[in-house]
Amino acid sequence: MAAPFRTCDHCSKPAVVHNTVIVNGKVTEVHLCEEHAAAAGIQLPGHAPIHALLGQLAQVGAARPRGPACPECGHTFNDFKSTGLLGCAACYRAFASTVAPIIARSHDGATEHVGRRPARAEVAAERTALLTQLGRELEEAVAAEQYERAASLRDRIRELRPAGAAGQEGRA
Amino acid sequence: MSAALDDRDVVMSCRVRVARNVAGFPFVARATHPQRREVLETVRAAAGTTESTLGIAGGRVGAESPEPLAWIDLTALPKRDRQLLWERHLISRQFAEGDSPRAVAVTADERVSLMVNEEDHLRLQVLRPGNRLRDAFDTAMRAEATLGERLDFAFDRSWGYLTACPTNVGCGIRIGVMVHLRAMRVTNEIEKVKRAAKELHLAVRGFHGEGSDASGDWFQVSNQRTLGVTEEALLEEFAGRVVPAIVAYERDARRVLLERQRTLLEDRVFRGIAMLRSARLLGVDEAMKQLSSVRLGACMGLLPDVSIDELNRLTIQLQSAHLRAADPAIETDDDERAARARMARAVLGAWPA
Repeated sequence: MAAPFRTCDHCSKPAVVHNTVIVNGKVTEVHLCEEHAAAAGIQLPGHAPIHALLGQLAQVGAARPRGPACPECGHTFNDFKSTGLLGCAACYRAFASTVAPIIARSHDGATEHVGRRPARAEVAAERTALLTQLGRELEEAVAAEQYERAASLRDRIRELRPAGAAGQEGRA
Repeated sequence: MSAALDDRDVVMSCRVRVARNVAGFPFVARATHPQRREVLETVRAAAGTTESTLGIAGGRVGAESPEPLAWIDLTALPKRDRQLLWERHLISRQFAEGDSPRAVAVTADERVSLMVNEEDHLRLQVLRPGNRLRDAFDTAMRAEATLGERLDFAFDRSWGYLTACPTNVGCGIRIGVMVHLRAMRVTNEIEKVKRAAKELHLAVRGFHGEGSDASGDWFQVSNQRTLGVTEEALLEEFAGRVVPAIVAYERDARRVLLERQRTLLEDRVFRGIAMLRSARLLGVDEAMKQLSSVRLGACMGLLPDVSIDELNRLTIQLQSAHLRAADPAIETDDDERAARARMARAVLGAWPA
């Protein structure tokens, strides 16, 4: 069973911390890389349920009775605290300072998704990045009074912008 | 003791669940009823009405199958039928109890269910008897990919798929097994399993999953961590290490019982079968308790004429809504207890005959 090189239980990096858990006389090994061991505080704290984590933040909530509201859906910090649920995708950014540590604690210190990505989101993300760049170029062209260039940039932006974009924003 | 097919002696069933939300809509708890209806129609159109349209027909990608995907509108469903779906592990209790727009799609073989408007817009579940996690995982990933071609899922580059509860972000996948740890209960080793599970960041729940009492002999064990780990690594960890370890512990406990406490073991098993074959009134808790002992005996060869698959079916057939659906004449609790006893006798052979 024992391999000469162990990788971390949570990623493919080499394990530097090796813990042994004995259950019913059977030895179970826990292997962690530097990063995950640090994230786990080496003592491998148990997974804390969301309400317990939120309970620790109760005082923050008390200091801000209503707390900030999500600009997209109006969900407040109190709504989150009482239900453990966020209101929409934009809440993750609106409450980032509260949500980020909860996510890290719930996932063994992890902060980056490494699994599959939706093909459609990748396409959309690339298009968004290109639109941002073209928008910047358009501003420069207008500032430099290069009107012909600005017109062609405006046409490209119009072509790239998804047809349903305005409707999508309206729904959220 | 020889290893049973699919670890069926210990693993009752396995399940892979995927949580997704449709971009552009608030999460369910924040969404208005018209928005929830719109989400429901959007997902229904994307998933379609056959196994082919959900991308899970046959064993190959793109395979065709006319097998239907039945859409069940929960709001139009009587309470008893909602409970029936819950007893079959096709929907969660939370989903069964709500009255806002929601529906579940179920394949004819009940292998795949897709809850729309539970805590997240989509909760896809693949449930298989025994330990067939890799099979369940492949089916879940194919259905997810098919839906992902037609729907924009809420996604963040750092945090992955966004879910209503931040503890589910990342790949949004839960891999779990329902295990029968009767022998470890007798040898008082359940607490050790719970402690080890906690250290490995696993959730341990009772027969009916979230919110149910983990004090019986059946346990649902699943991963909790979903961020910073790939889907395949989660499966590898769970199917390759966690499940084999649990199965080995329980088999060890069974062997110890057989070698050192055979009389105690036989007493529990034969009392159990005698009760189920002779009782005239049977409550659900008592039925489950005796079924558990009988199942242990059947798995260990003490009851050669009792089939494990039949016992697995009984754990569901003896639940309240199943009995009431099978016999509309049931009105009182005593009627139900009598019907439960009749069902047990009919399946396991009545004594006296």
